[in-house]
Amino acid sequence: MTALLWLQTGSCGGDTMSMLCADSPSLEDLVDEYGIEVLWQPSLSMEPMKKLDVLIEAILADRQALDVLCIEGSIITGPDGSGMYDPYRGRSKMSLVRELVEKAEYVVAMGTCAAYGGVHAAPPNPTDCLGLQFDKKNPGGLLPIEWRSRKGLPVINISGCPAHPNAMTKTLAMLASGLPVELDHLNRPKAFFNTMVHQGCTRIEYHEYDVEDAEFGNKACLFFNLGCQGPMTVAICNTELWNGRSSKTRAGVPCFGCTSPDFPLDHDLFRTEKIGEVPVHLPLDVARSNYMAYKSLAHEAAPLRVLNKKMDP
Amino acid sequence: MSRKIIQIDMNRVEGDVDFQLELEGSRIVDARCVGSLYRGFEQILLGRKPMDALVMTPRICGICGTAQLNAAVLALEHLARLPVPPAAMRIRNLCLMAETVQSDLRQSFLFFTADFCHPKYRSLPLYDKARAAFLPFQGEIYRGALEHSRHIVEIIALFGGQWPHSSYMVPGGVTTPASSRHLIDGLSLLNKLTRWFEKSVIGTPLDDWLALQSADEFFDWLEAGEAHADSAIGLLTRMSREIGLHRLGCGTPHMISYGAYDDPEDVENFSPYRKRLFKAGFLNGDAGSIEPFDQNEITEHVRYSWFLPYPGGRHPFQGQTVPDYQPHSDRYTWCKAPRYRDKVVQTGPLADALIDGEPLIHALYRAEGGNAWLRQFARLHRTARLLKAMSQLLHELAAHPGEPHILPPADKEIPDGEGFGLVTAARGALGHWLQVRDGVISRYQVITPTAWNASPKDSEGRHGHWESSLIGLTVEDPDDPVEIGHIIRSHDPCLVCTVHLLDTGKRLTVWP
Repeated sequence: MTALLWLQTGSCGGDTMSMLCADSPSLEDLVDEYGIEVLWQPSLSMEPMKKLDVLIEAILADRQALDVLCIEGSIITGPDGSGMYDPYRGRSKMSLVRELVEKAEYVVAMGTCAAYGGVHAAPPNPTDCLGLQFDKKNPGGLLPIEWRSRKGLPVINISGCPAHPNAMTKTLAMLASGLPVELDHLNRPKAFFNTMVHQGCTRIEYHEYDVEDAEFGNKACLFFNLGCQGPMTVAICNTELWNGRSSKTRAGVPCFGCTSPDFPLDHDLFRTEKIGEVPVHLPLDVARSNYMAYKSLAHEAAPLRVLNKKMDP
Repeated sequence: MSRKIIQIDMNRVEGDVDFQLELEGSRIVDARCVGSLYRGFEQILLGRKPMDALVMTPRICGICGTAQLNAAVLALEHLARLPVPPAAMRIRNLCLMAETVQSDLRQSFLFFTADFCHPKYRSLPLYDKARAAFLPFQGEIYRGALEHSRHIVEIIALFGGQWPHSSYMVPGGVTTPASSRHLIDGLSLLNKLTRWFEKSVIGTPLDDWLALQSADEFFDWLEAGEAHADSAIGLLTRMSREIGLHRLGCGTPHMISYGAYDDPEDVENFSPYRKRLFKAGFLNGDAGSIEPFDQNEITEHVRYSWFLPYPGGRHPFQGQTVPDYQPHSDRYTWCKAPRYRDKVVQTGPLADALIDGEPLIHALYRAEGGNAWLRQFARLHRTARLLKAMSQLLHELAAHPGEPHILPPADKEIPDGEGFGLVTAARGALGHWLQVRDGVISRYQVITPTAWNASPKDSEGRHGHWESSLIGLTVEDPDDPVEIGHIIRSHDPCLVCTVHLLDTGKRLTVWP
């Protein structure tokens, strides 16, 4: 059995709702097939909350094993460092989390809020939010960057706003079955964070030939004008579809980079900042001069079906 | 009179809230609803570009982000006086309905009915059947609700790319048209859920069940055979009534509804003056009449809230949200106290159905009042209506192929000005009030449905709806007052509740 405890801190509950949408594996599969015992999940547990108190006490006294601790939500440290904007039983959740992580074999941040601070940490960060081991992209959050769980891993960051349903359940299934979880430089499992969002986007042919939309509701690429961060963002949105169906970019909604530590960016989210004709932020690791040369050639090579936007995304 | 202190804690709701209840003997004499989590959304929006509200506000709530998105886009369209084509309204309505069906199924069968499996009810004749249906992760209905609530939001993913948290409603329409592929996918998803709903939740064909119009017809239906009595809604009704939930938890008699779903046939009017498929109104509980709704009559009080004080109530366009955390004062919550025409009101599916004039809910309300069972029943009755309405929407979209799904605004910038967006989320009346100055958001005020229901006392000391629905309640066994859990969950609180009872004078809690 793998004993799992799920706590919500400063959250909208969206990661829980997202996980209920997972289908490969589903939440039921985790319970039925992977031996995950849900000690506590705030939306799903049948027992009254008194059980949570008892559980916490038992975990802190080492009477109850805690294999996986999942945290959903920003760590709220305000006001004035007290954490009391997000209390639990007259103390701060912040302090409770700090104690519980020391007892866990693995700690998993479910969503960008728990990983990096997220939407609640957007300027002016009114409640002084942090992630568990990062403050936006800066190392060190509630816990120092060198912190390790009992199994020797840092906090595993399943970022996303919300986190992708199957990224959450697959990670839990990997932990429960003893599969290795390799992390990237932001402590995200590489299995879900080594492809760009625009890899697999159905507008990619437009992107390739530099055919860009200037207004919403159309068929072409959203990168040059409409704020899409798909070429700079790593996530599985277009390789393992949302709700088994689609992705924001396929549906004509820009990628807002919600798996990145600096989500949400503090400039206009629906417009691309540009220098001349070319975006300020280029696809990951691309050199500007090369990119400009490639784009001008690409547009020249565009076939009419692309130029005239004949293809549905 | 003996005084007792007990603690009741609740989960299976969304968010964070405490209830502090004062007991005299076994009767609740005072109640304070404490929204304990502060996230500061209204401050985060200040200074941002107006369109950013379409990304930020869905993140207010993980279970009703589509409704938040709709309120935000309606506020922008109101401000900029933007028209929306009928196909866009239909796609928006379809997605809003799918989200509400998802929420209602999860609220009913993951959050509410699990309480019927409480060991306290072991001796009731229906107990074994209730457990077989509702036990978390094992009950047949629980598992069905998990599966089908997961699939119905795929309809939102078809148009919005994902659920939760997308931003596909933009000023002037939606980002994706209803292709024939989307329509067939949407219909198969809907049909699958509808068949399950008919077989397991109502045990009856949808149209037959929706034809029940009076209390007598409903109770005759309930007794006409096992398929009805042992359906999910049959079991929920029989358990609720055996426990007495049809006599408890009425709260304030006043109700509001903003109306739901813009009427795609009404192309003459812009939001917020467009007709709606489900009517808006104010149910005046004193007069028993339904009166026109006017958002100018909304005010918010902060006398008992942890915000910088101001006297009386303020309309959201004059609203102010400056945190002022004073845990050791008589102020007790992060919720403001919204009032309509200076009255305490409730909102949610019961209010919506009564104000819309739905005959069966109206008949049951006249017979027994707005009790905890009826509130829950009204929620599932809505599911049935929405399944039918969604099918109609998909067919209407199919009948108008190639119509525009967006009218791109001529001006790419949202001008300075003010606008509001009022929608019906799963939990009731949701409003966004937006002001733009110098091209950026200068004020953004949100009143969620739960803000209405979880309201603290106002400047006049009048209790909010949940508070008043508990005051006067007799708690049979103060060590295990499960009836409070039923009542609070029947309101579908979008907050994680803890309910604890306090000694007068000396505040005792089990934590430091």
